[in-house]
Amino acid sequence: METGFDAGRPVRVSSFNGIDVFMVNTDKFKTSSIHFFFQDNLARENVTKNALLPAVMRRGSMEHPTFRDISMELESLYGATFDCGVTKKGERHIIHFYTEFLSKQFVPDGTDIFAEALELLFGIITRPALADGSFREDYLAQEKENLRIRIEGRVNDKMSYSVERCMEEMCRNEPFEIYDYGFVEDLAPITADGLTAHYRTMLGTFPLQVYLVGSISDKEAEKVTGLLSGLARGDTVKLRESFTGKEKAEIRHVTETMDVTQGKLCLGCRTNTAPGSDDYPALMVYNGILGGGIHSKLFRNVREKASLAYYCYSMLEKFKGLMVISSGIDTGNRELALDIINMQLDDMSKGNISDYEMEATIKSMETGIKSLTDSQVNIVDFYLSQTIAGTDDDFGTLMEKIRKVTKDDVRAAAQRIVPDTVYFLTAESDDE
Amino acid sequence: MGSSKIIYEKAGEALYSYEHPSGLKAFVIPRPGYLKKYAAFATNYGSIDNEFIIPGETDVTRVPDGIAHFLEHKLFEQKDGNVMEKFSRLGSNPNAYTSFNKTVYLFSCTDRFDENFRLLLDYVRNPYITPESVENEKGIIGQEILMYQDNPDWKVHFNLLKAMYEKHPVRIDIAGTIDSISRIDRETLYKCYNTFYHPSNMIVLAVGDVDPENVFRMVESTIPHNKPRAPVNRIYPEEKAAVHSEFIEERLAVSIPMFRIGHKGSFFGEKGIGLLMYEVAVKLALELLAGRSSELYEQLYGEGMINSSFGTDVSVEKQYAFSILGGESPDPLQVRDRFCRALEEAKKKGLDRSACERLIRAYRGRFMRQFNSVERIAHSFISVYFKGVSMFDYLDVYDKITFEYVNEVLHDHFKPESLAMSVIRPV
Repeated sequence: METGFDAGRPVRVSSFNGIDVFMVNTDKFKTSSIHFFFQDNLARENVTKNALLPAVMRRGSMEHPTFRDISMELESLYGATFDCGVTKKGERHIIHFYTEFLSKQFVPDGTDIFAEALELLFGIITRPALADGSFREDYLAQEKENLRIRIEGRVNDKMSYSVERCMEEMCRNEPFEIYDYGFVEDLAPITADGLTAHYRTMLGTFPLQVYLVGSISDKEAEKVTGLLSGLARGDTVKLRESFTGKEKAEIRHVTETMDVTQGKLCLGCRTNTAPGSDDYPALMVYNGILGGGIHSKLFRNVREKASLAYYCYSMLEKFKGLMVISSGIDTGNRELALDIINMQLDDMSKGNISDYEMEATIKSMETGIKSLTDSQVNIVDFYLSQTIAGTDDDFGTLMEKIRKVTKDDVRAAAQRIVPDTVYFLTAESDDE
Repeated sequence: MGSSKIIYEKAGEALYSYEHPSGLKAFVIPRPGYLKKYAAFATNYGSIDNEFIIPGETDVTRVPDGIAHFLEHKLFEQKDGNVMEKFSRLGSNPNAYTSFNKTVYLFSCTDRFDENFRLLLDYVRNPYITPESVENEKGIIGQEILMYQDNPDWKVHFNLLKAMYEKHPVRIDIAGTIDSISRIDRETLYKCYNTFYHPSNMIVLAVGDVDPENVFRMVESTIPHNKPRAPVNRIYPEEKAAVHSEFIEERLAVSIPMFRIGHKGSFFGEKGIGLLMYEVAVKLALELLAGRSSELYEQLYGEGMINSSFGTDVSVEKQYAFSILGGESPDPLQVRDRFCRALEEAKKKGLDRSACERLIRAYRGRFMRQFNSVERIAHSFISVYFKGVSMFDYLDVYDKITFEYVNEVLHDHFKPESLAMSVIRPV
């Protein structure tokens, strides 16, 4: 019997017009939150507009026409937060808006804080500040510039930049190679009228998931449903699956140079294990043993034994079916590091897995999964990801599946792994 | 075993505490319903403590920069192997961090808390450092230092501290330099360990769904009942009130200039709630001047002079104090000039009283929100504790702080001679 997973499945409050409202009712947090996720297929023609939308929308609503007005309102609501942006999960492009606010039992003066926060968020999403029926030209121009800076600013964080670039190189000519924030050259043609039309497409046709988390009453949840049922909705966009397998690959080597002190080495692989397949938990265990923490082969061999790196880990991109191994090393140590990494991959395929590695990995995953229930954002992200992957696990059922994974299952997962691309970010003077 | 309990009704929180005969203080903040349990064993010893007189000696000991952080790495090594493996077997996540003022060893777990907790109490007290493992660690920490060299956010921040401070070790990177760590050896590591890892210089904290009495019993029975020891005499250089240099600039592989504008505070020697009051006042003043609800933010953002990366940061410690604002800008110098103009205007006219009240209201909510996360609670508690206060004292500060005091601090903290700027420009 599973105990401790008290943050159970979200309750589906309502489902209509391509909109689903979920509620996770719990009193354990000091705050409550409301999350909106609009989903689109990741595609060149929409990606830049999708990224620009939340940036322009956060500037103001009819009731709070400037960002300053919104900020003042948030401060008055006991430091409530509001944020929005875009992200990709597999080949889905997701536009999210959220607000988090003190739960009513901690509000000293009887303010109906849920109603006020909902009003603010719903206003920003459905009643943006417009001029002559279109987004304000000044907001549009400023946010185009900010988005350009954002896109070009990818290089500033070398660690995440190298991992993203490795995955993009692996997925050339597939939608997944598209960067979440879009393309600088696609910004110029976007007009206020065009973006407003796109906004109406988002509001009217993108599948929408809403999550309410915290101390939320049924009446409050009904209120959300009531507001959403007032939205004019058309035919909902059909979303496609992301997963792509690739059983053979000639390893490509991609080297990029930049003015850096430390080299970033990434090895990208296809997992050939779909997120909805029965084999997926074994892949998760595989990743944990290989590079998912201090007990992992990569950490112990690349960092602790060879003293080559401060960090070396592996991570899964669940939806598309990718795994990336990432490490920061001396620019001259590329071959040495690759050799050690490849030895670990070989070990995994041969099933050279100790009892300690197996047990420590499963325990660490259990700790990780249980810990997710202590964070509203993580609870929401977990269930959103389930719906995108087309799976129906909760924290408890997922854990049970992981506990049943055997070494043979892990070895089978290892044998499906196909190395695809070696990406190296290195210094310009290097003679590689 | 004498333990005590304080209830903070407004926050719906309780703090349990216990003092061990050795001088070690232990605390528990319960979080019913949370699955994650977190514990930390922290010493009041950080990267700035590089000159001191060892109790019982008369000569001053000077140690290489970065040694507190190096020691943090080495404590994971035990006679019977790496302690990380033992935590892994228990399914928990051990970690540690070093800041200017403290070194913190911690773990989070969801099961078998008692075993994890005993392991934490045990390994931090039993270093096993060999000359070979010291050499091996130089490679790992060397890569950690190089990683930060490529991190523009880190660089722009530490360059600012280098500009602000002439002598105080807060100007030195926490991990030291490749050169300074090359001079670290086993003997010096033990010397630092024996000086600063005495129980009376340390605290233990547990946060989560745990039983306070049980935690205190484990502390009581695990830690030897030795006498408390006199505090270590730490030596910090005299630092002038004015900044060391007004401007520092460096080029890195970034897409847009990044900047930090800092004011160096001259608020030293005070301990306790006065320190928090000053910190909150500086935060309020800075946010009133340039926060998201300020006129200046709206103007600069509208002109494309700043973007959403713009933010503020305030640090008030016994030894040093500074406030920082910064982000990305195509023209950092203009941002500085505009900020200075707004500052002078506010000094003449006074700040906005109703905005100040609104912000204090927001601070109360933000204070409460941190109780959502066991890590945030632990982090806040420990950072405040070594200043001689409790994180719950913030609630008092929000009740007692006055608009008049914030205005006073505006004049006291934001002086023209205490301003410095750091800029990172694209290559």
